[in-house]
Amino acid sequence: MSLTHEIGFTLNGVQRRATVGIETSALEMLREGVGLTGTKYGCGEGECGACTILVDGLSVNSCLLFALDCDGREITTVEGLAGDARAQALQKAFVAHGAVQCGFCTPGMMVQATHLLATQPHPDAAAAQRAIEGNLCRCTGYQKIVEAIVEAGQALAAGDAT
Amino acid sequence: MNETLARPTSAASLIGQRIPKMDAPEKASGRTRYIHDIDLPGQLHAAILRSTRVHARIVRIDTAAARALPGVHCVLTAADVPDQRPIGVAKDHLPLKRDRVRSERDEIAAVAADSEAVALAALKLIEVEYEDLPVVADAEAALAPGAALVHPPIAGAAAGAPVGLAGKTDNIAMRFDYGHGDVARGEAESDVVIEDVFELHYVTHCCMGVSGVIAEFDAKGNLLLYSNTQVPFLHKREFAEILGMDPGRIRIIQPPIGGGFGSKLDIYPFEVICVFLARATGRPVKLVFSREEEFLASPTRQPVRLTLRSGCKGDGTLTFRSVHTLHDNGAYTSWGATTPFVMMQTFSSLYRVPHCDYHTVAVYSNNPYAGSFRGYGNLQATFAVEAHMDKMAEAIGMEPLAFRLKNAQAAGEVTGQGMVFRSCGFQDCLRSAAERSDFSRKRREYAARRDEPGAVKRGIGIASMLHVGGGAKIYPSDGCGTILKLDDFGHVTLITGASEIGQGSETVLSQLVCEELGLPMSAVTVVNNDTDITPWDVGVHASRTTFIAGNSAIGAARKAKAKILAAAATRFDCAPDALELNGGRIVRAATGEPLTELARFLRGLHFSDRAELVMTSFYYEPPSVHQDKAFKGDVSAAYAWAAQVVEVEVDTDTGVVRMIRVTAAHDVGRVLNRLGIEGQIEGGIVMGQGYALTENLVVEGGRIRNPNFRDYKLITAPEVPEMDIAFIESMDGEGPQGAKGVGEAPAICIAAATASAIYNATGVRITSLPFTPERVYRALHGALPPLRATPRMSTEAAQ
Amino acid sequence: MSGSDAFERYLAPTSLAQALAALAESGGAAVLAGGTDLMPQSRAGRVRSARMLLNIRRVPGLEAVEVDGDALRLGALATIATLLIHPLVRRHASLLSEAANHFASDQIRNAATLGGNICNASPAGDMLGPLLALDAEVELASLAGDGSVRFRRLPLDGFFSGPGRTLRESGELLTAVRLRPASHGQIVRFYKTGTRPALDISTISIAFAARRDGGGRLSDVRLALGAVAPTPLRARRTEALLEGSRLDAGLVAQAAQSAASEAKPIDDVRATAWYRKELVHNMTRRMLDDVAHA
Repeated sequence: MSLTHEIGFTLNGVQRRATVGIETSALEMLREGVGLTGTKYGCGEGECGACTILVDGLSVNSCLLFALDCDGREITTVEGLAGDARAQALQKAFVAHGAVQCGFCTPGMMVQATHLLATQPHPDAAAAQRAIEGNLCRCTGYQKIVEAIVEAGQALAAGDAT
Repeated sequence: MNETLARPTSAASLIGQRIPKMDAPEKASGRTRYIHDIDLPGQLHAAILRSTRVHARIVRIDTAAARALPGVHCVLTAADVPDQRPIGVAKDHLPLKRDRVRSERDEIAAVAADSEAVALAALKLIEVEYEDLPVVADAEAALAPGAALVHPPIAGAAAGAPVGLAGKTDNIAMRFDYGHGDVARGEAESDVVIEDVFELHYVTHCCMGVSGVIAEFDAKGNLLLYSNTQVPFLHKREFAEILGMDPGRIRIIQPPIGGGFGSKLDIYPFEVICVFLARATGRPVKLVFSREEEFLASPTRQPVRLTLRSGCKGDGTLTFRSVHTLHDNGAYTSWGATTPFVMMQTFSSLYRVPHCDYHTVAVYSNNPYAGSFRGYGNLQATFAVEAHMDKMAEAIGMEPLAFRLKNAQAAGEVTGQGMVFRSCGFQDCLRSAAERSDFSRKRREYAARRDEPGAVKRGIGIASMLHVGGGAKIYPSDGCGTILKLDDFGHVTLITGASEIGQGSETVLSQLVCEELGLPMSAVTVVNNDTDITPWDVGVHASRTTFIAGNSAIGAARKAKAKILAAAATRFDCAPDALELNGGRIVRAATGEPLTELARFLRGLHFSDRAELVMTSFYYEPPSVHQDKAFKGDVSAAYAWAAQVVEVEVDTDTGVVRMIRVTAAHDVGRVLNRLGIEGQIEGGIVMGQGYALTENLVVEGGRIRNPNFRDYKLITAPEVPEMDIAFIESMDGEGPQGAKGVGEAPAICIAAATASAIYNATGVRITSLPFTPERVYRALHGALPPLRATPRMSTEAAQ
Repeated sequence: MSGSDAFERYLAPTSLAQALAALAESGGAAVLAGGTDLMPQSRAGRVRSARMLLNIRRVPGLEAVEVDGDALRLGALATIATLLIHPLVRRHASLLSEAANHFASDQIRNAATLGGNICNASPAGDMLGPLLALDAEVELASLAGDGSVRFRRLPLDGFFSGPGRTLRESGELLTAVRLRPASHGQIVRFYKTGTRPALDISTISIAFAARRDGGGRLSDVRLALGAVAPTPLRARRTEALLEGSRLDAGLVAQAAQSAASEAKPIDDVRATAWYRKELVHNMTRRMLDDVAHA
C-alpha cells in the first residue's frame, strides 16, 4: 500500500485536514475521502472537465491534481459555490435556459463558468465556447449552456443577480 | 387520444411554453446523486477481469492468490456459477465466459472486495492461461469458407439449448429479408439506375456518466438493483429468468442517469455479474466502470456495409431500391443486430418507393458487439438513401429540393411497408429548411465556385429523415401506465412507468397533467424510478415517451378531472361540462368565474361523508399493430419527419470540414415544452455532427485502439454550428396535445446532409464515414481505398 | 482507483537546494510541477522507475516571467495560462502566446507548466516548436560538490534526444527558459491542425519566425515542425533555402516541398505518415504565402 501523508487545506471556505496516499488524486480525495460527490469522475485523464474544481481561484481538472498538492491551498468545489454571486447567476441562467439535461457535466460546467466570469465578466458566445472547450457534454449540444453563461454575465453586469 | 384536442381555455396554457426542467436546480448545484454517488452501508466494490486476448480458449484460471488478498470477499469465474444462463436477444452471451473468450471485452472473472483499490489489485493476481485461436476480424472474413467459428457447437449440450450453451455450426447471427412490390419491374421502368457501396463505422455512446450498478439481496432473498436501465420492467423479467427467481421478488430503482441514448436498453454481463457477487457474498455490491472500460465494454452503434441500388424515371419519380447489408454482429448479439427493423422502414418508406427489397446478414466476429443507439440504424440507412437522392437528381438534371418534394409523401399515404402517414409534415419540413437556409441559390452558387482558386470551399446539402413518432409496437405491449394522486393541498403525485433519462420526460409529463388540471408546474411531484411503485412501461426507446407516456398521463388526468367535476357539478348544481379547472380553482367554463379553490374542494371530498380521495390510473396502449412475418404493418401510432440543411466549409489543403450552420425543420406534431424540445434537437444535431465528422471507434484485429477521449473525438463547444430550428406542427390526432416523438430525429440525417454539402463544395462524393480531415483529404486526392461490395447471400428467409 | 503504487516517498521542498538534494539522492524521482502529464503517466504505470514523487511547485522563484538583461526569462513553473496572458510574453514572444491559445483547455493551461511541457518532451508538444523557433535556451540547475547550486545553459535546439527524452541529467532541474525578445520587424506564425481550436494533440504543428528587411529579404529564418518526428524538429534545409531570400511563389513552393521532405512522421491512430507530410507541405505553403502577402 502507498504511504500516506497528512495535508491541510481550505475546502469551500472551511479549513480541514486529510490523510491521503501519494498517488491519490484530488478527485478521489474529494469524492471518497471527504464525501463530496458533486465533483464527477468523467474520464480520469483531463479530457472531459467533469471533475473541474477551483484551486486558489483557478479552474483545474481535479483528476490530474495530486491530492498532496492541495496542501496549503484553497479548494472550491461545486458545493462551495452556493454563496458566490456569479455561481448563483449562472445557476439561475442554467435552469431558465434549459442548459441542463442529464446534468452529469453540469457541476464541471458551473465551476468552469464561474471561473470564466471571475476573469472575464462579460463574455460573448465565442468566449464562452472557448472557455468550456475542455468540458464535454453529450446531451445539450452546448447551445443553451453558452446562452446561459452569456446571460449570467449580462445579468451580473446589470446588477440583477442577488 | 382519439378525441377532440383540448384547446387552451385561457392565456395561461402551458403548451408551447419554455418550461425549465424540474430537476435542473438540483443538478446545477451538484446535489443530484447519480449511481456513482450512491453508497449502501456494508457495500463491497466489484471489479471485472476482462480478456487480454481477442479469440482464445481459456485453458486455466487460477484465482487462489486473488482470493487470499486481504480485503477480498469473493472471486467468481464461470466455474463458480455452473447454472448461469446466457443473456441477450439471441441468448448467446454467458455473463462469465466459460471455456473460451470471443472478444477483447469478455468477462472472465470478477472480484468483490472492501474497496475498489483492493478489487483492482486482486484482478492483477488472477492468472489466466489462454490458447490463441484465429481472430475473425471482420464480418466478411467470418463468412469465408473455413473461417473459424465464433460460437462453435458445444459437445453435450441439451437439445434445443440456446446458442450460448450449445453453439452453432456457422457464423450467421441473424438474417432479415424484406420486400414490397417487384424490384425487377421497378428497375426495368427506370431511366436512371445507380449503385453504391456505403461503409458506416463504429461509434459509441460516450455517456458522460460511466456505467454502474449496485445489487443487494435483502434478508428475505429479494433482489434490489440500483440500475440505470432504460427498460426497468423488461429488466426485471430478464433478471428473473437469469437468476431463476420469481420476478415479483426483484425491485429495480433507477438513480438519475448520466446519459442513455440507447446504451441501457439491453442486459449486460456486468450487471448480472454484480448480482452473482451480491448473492455469493450476502452484501451489497457496487460496480462502476472506468472510462477506459466504458469504451472497451459498451455496446457500439451498429457498423454497416451496405450496397444500395436505386432507380428513378426521367421525370423524377422514384422506382425502386434494392439493399444488401452486412452487419458485423460482434462476438455476442445485442440490439445492433435488430437495427434492420428500423433500416428497412427507411429504405421502404422514406420518400415514395413503389418497389423495394432489403436484405441483411448479421455475422458473428471477434469484434465488439453493437447495441441500440439513438436512431437505431436510421443514420446508416438515411446516409445511403439521401446520397442516392442527390445523385439521381443530378443524373436527370433536376434540382435536389424539387426531386425530393416530388417524392415526399403527404398525409393520408400508406407506404409499401404498411405504414400509415396520418399527420405528415414531410413536405413542409423540406420547404421550411430549404427556404430559411437559402438552399437552392447557395447550392448553385457553391457548385459554380468549385473550380475557382482558393483552398477553402463552401457547400450546402439537404437531407430528410423519417422515424417512428408514436411508439413502436415491437414488444407484446407498447403501452405505459400512470397513477395520479391528488392530495388535500392540491398537490399532484404523478407516478409514471416512463423513465427520465435526462431528456425531460418528467417535465413534459407534468406539463401535460398540469394543463389538464389547471395547476402550476410547482404542484406536481413525479415518481418514476421504482418498479415496486410505478406501473408498467415498456421503456425509453424509439422516441416514444412523450407520445405514449404523455397520453397515459393525460388519460389519468382526465379521469381525475372527470371525478372532480362530477362531484363539483353536484355541489354547484350544474352540469359537469359547465365547469372547468383553471389556475388551481374550479371555475365556470363559460365565464371563468371562480367557484372554489381546488385544494379546498379536495379536502371537502376527503373529509365529508363521501370520504373520497382522488386517485386515478390509466394505461395507454397505442393503436398501432405488430408487424406481420413479412415485416409489414403500421407499427407506430404516428410518424415524424425532419429536414436538415447543413452548410459546411471544406479546407481542401487539410480536409478539415467545418460545420457552419444547420437549418432544421422538425415535424413534431406539436411543441409541448419549447425549452425541452429545443434542447433535444440541439443535442441531437451535435451528436449527428460527431457521427459525421469526428467520432470514430477504431477497431483493428478485434481491439479498440482509442478507448479514451483523447483519441475518440466528441464535439466540443467551439465546434458547434449555428443552428436555426423550426418546428412544423402537424397536430397529430393521436398524439398528446397533438405531439409526436422527437428524441432520435435530430441525429438521423446530419451525416447525410453533410455528405451532400461536401459534394456541393468539392464535387467529391464520399460514401464512408466519418468525414475526418484525413478521410476527406484522401477522398479529394483519390487516395481513399475503394469499398468492396457487400457479399450477397441466397435469399432464403432465415427463421 | 489508485495506480501502480510506484511512489514510496513524497517530498515538497521549499528551496531549490533542497529540491536538488532530493533529486540527487533519491535514486530516481518523478518531478511534479502541474501534474497534467505526470498523473496520467503514473496511472498508466509508465513511471515505474521513480521511487520518489518530488513536488517542486513550492520552490520559490521558479514561476517568474521577467526581462533579464537582453533576454526574456520564463520560469519553469510559469503555467501555460501565464504564457497566454502575460504582457511580457505577448509583447516579446507572441509566438508562445499564440501557441498557448491552442493548448488543451483552460483547466489544463491553468496547471500545466512550461518546464513540464519541455521535460515531457512529447514529439507533439505544442510549446516546443515555438520555443525552437525563438532560439530558446534552457537553464538547468544542479548541486555542486560543495552543496551550492550551479546553473548551466543549453540551447533547446538539440535538447530533445528522443520521444520523452532530453539532455537533462537525473540530478538536474530545469529552472527557466531564456529567449531573445522579438525584434522589431520579426514575423511569427503558428499553425496547428485539427478540428478544434485547442483540445487536440497535434496532428502536425508548424512554428515560423524570421526577420524581414525593407527589401523583403528574410533572415534568421526558423521553421520548427511538431508531431512529425521523434522530437520537435527544426527544418534546417528549408530554413537555409529561405535564408536571405525574398518570398515569391516559386520559393514558397520549393520551401513547402522541402519542409515535407524533412518531416519524418509515423502512422498512428491519429493520422498516417502520408497525410502528415501532405499537411506539412500544404500548411507551410499557406503560411509562407500569408507571410509573403502580409
